[in-house]
Amino acid sequence: MDELLEILTDINPDVDYETEDNLIDGKVLDSLSIIQMINEICDTFDIEIGPKWMRNENFNSAQKIWEMIQTIQEEE
Amino acid sequence: MSITSFPFFFFVCAVLLVYFLVPKKYQWVVLLAASCAFYVSYGAKYILYVIFTSTSVYFAANGMQKIADEQRAFLKGEGKALEKEEKNAYKAKNKQRKKRLMLCALLANIFLLCLFKYAHFALEQLNALLGLVGAGLIEDGLHLIAPLGISFYTFQMVGYLLDVYWGNVEAEKNWCRTLLFCSFFPQMTQGPISEFGALSAELFAEHDFSYRNYSWGMQRMAWGFFKKMVIADALAPLVTDVFQNYPHYTGLTTLIGAFLYSVQIYADFSGYMDIMCGLCEVMGIHLTENFDRPYFSKSVAEYWRRWHMSLGTWFKRFIYYPIGISKWSRNLGKASREKLGRKFGDMLPASIALVVVWLATGLWHGASWAYITWGLVNGLFIILGLWLDPFYAACRERLHINESAWLWRAFQTLRTFVLVTFIKVLPEVGTLSDGWGLWMRIFTNHEIPHSLRRLLPFLDWSSLFTLSHFGMAGLGTAVLFCFSLIERRRPVRSCTERWPMPLRAAVLGALFFLIFTFGVQNTWEGGGFLYAQF
Repeated sequence: MDELLEILTDINPDVDYETEDNLIDGKVLDSLSIIQMINEICDTFDIEIGPKWMRNENFNSAQKIWEMIQTIQEEE
Repeated sequence: MSITSFPFFFFVCAVLLVYFLVPKKYQWVVLLAASCAFYVSYGAKYILYVIFTSTSVYFAANGMQKIADEQRAFLKGEGKALEKEEKNAYKAKNKQRKKRLMLCALLANIFLLCLFKYAHFALEQLNALLGLVGAGLIEDGLHLIAPLGISFYTFQMVGYLLDVYWGNVEAEKNWCRTLLFCSFFPQMTQGPISEFGALSAELFAEHDFSYRNYSWGMQRMAWGFFKKMVIADALAPLVTDVFQNYPHYTGLTTLIGAFLYSVQIYADFSGYMDIMCGLCEVMGIHLTENFDRPYFSKSVAEYWRRWHMSLGTWFKRFIYYPIGISKWSRNLGKASREKLGRKFGDMLPASIALVVVWLATGLWHGASWAYITWGLVNGLFIILGLWLDPFYAACRERLHINESAWLWRAFQTLRTFVLVTFIKVLPEVGTLSDGWGLWMRIFTNHEIPHSLRRLLPFLDWSSLFTLSHFGMAGLGTAVLFCFSLIERRRPVRSCTERWPMPLRAAVLGALFFLIFTFGVQNTWEGGGFLYAQF
């Protein structure tokens, strides 16, 4: 989780990722940030995030992103 | 059946009556019957294409669902004892089977869409090439007329197909329900392009009659008719006049014509959405919103997040992200980051994805070089905005600009409105050279008209009808602007809800009076909806 928070903070340091649960629907992160974030996550966690995961509910909070990473790791 | 006609009014009354009279579990059947009747009213044979799309997607989706269900059952049962590699091989094999089904339905429907929308254009380009090399030309004997709303319902069904393929939603088992999802009449001709999960939950739920839904829905419908019939249809002939005769008009008149077009298309498209969202609201169905006061955007990118939002979401989900996060795109980003710096490496994948999205957006809107250029110009502004953002930020800092000051925000809004207006008119004049000619007229003709008649020559100054209807459209636009300002904070209807009943009735009565006095005649003179052509 710490590595994920580091990636997110690097992309936008002004957000409190511990509490923010509206990252996409609240337009806190734009589509460019999402692509940057996903590419960083794929490299860091050595996973593939396919288009099937590209739904707002998977990216609305750091916790949700973390859960998605864990699910992908289990599936792989 | 035109939406601004009396037959549609009676059709809606009948649908609402039957919808609330039948047992609730059959409400969706009423919607299906109404949707088929609505579509058949535009031409009986075209419903065959809707049936083809629904059926092909239905079988492919259910085939994929069967494979997914079998896989789940197998892995929970006898497959539990398999080694990890064996499980992965089994999953990969099933994924291939699902992919084959998905591709069959996807390609069949995209082929149909391309045949109707792009065959003439492709043949024109081929003939142009053959002409260059002196070869004989191919005769265009196709004479195809695209079925109404084909771009909208095909995209919606492709989205559903991909969602089933990815396992995001379960396939609908009932063919009739799939047909309703494809053909739901309030949205199939001009959108919004809905996701299956969201729309099916609304369509197949049981809805009670509610006075609040009825009241709010009717108000929204009335407002939509006002926007379409009193504003858009009054401006339509004037805009057409400017676009046809701009070589004879001054640059300033042409510029006014371009701004009038911006107002017309917004009142037209958002008016349609208000009518249909309002109608659905009466039935208790929430339709995806397509607009969020787009002309108050502060950049071209933001404008496109607030205009035709469902199309933007579709392109983002099914084109932009798949390209931007693909393995080759990531590798390209990584390689360019090492050679050209982090910023470049981060921006490159997104920029490539944006070029493809905007090329597709241009083509989706129309098969012509004018629309392709229009799409790419939009993309260019958005990509430039991304790349130059640090430079703009440095400029703002150096000039000590307070970004939260209303004057700065008003400037950004006005700048974006002017910019999107210029981009918007490019494909609407006719060919690409016509659009370019209109731009040139605005920029190169500096003649100052000495009278109002010379400034607005597209108005028939001797006709009280034209002048009063133009004046009412202007007044309507001012009201639309004020409503948009109010809606920054809350919906106008939540304000009017607190008004006493007689006042609300009087306002609604006045709205209907204006629609019947001005709108009906405008619509006779004007015509259909601009977005129906897409």
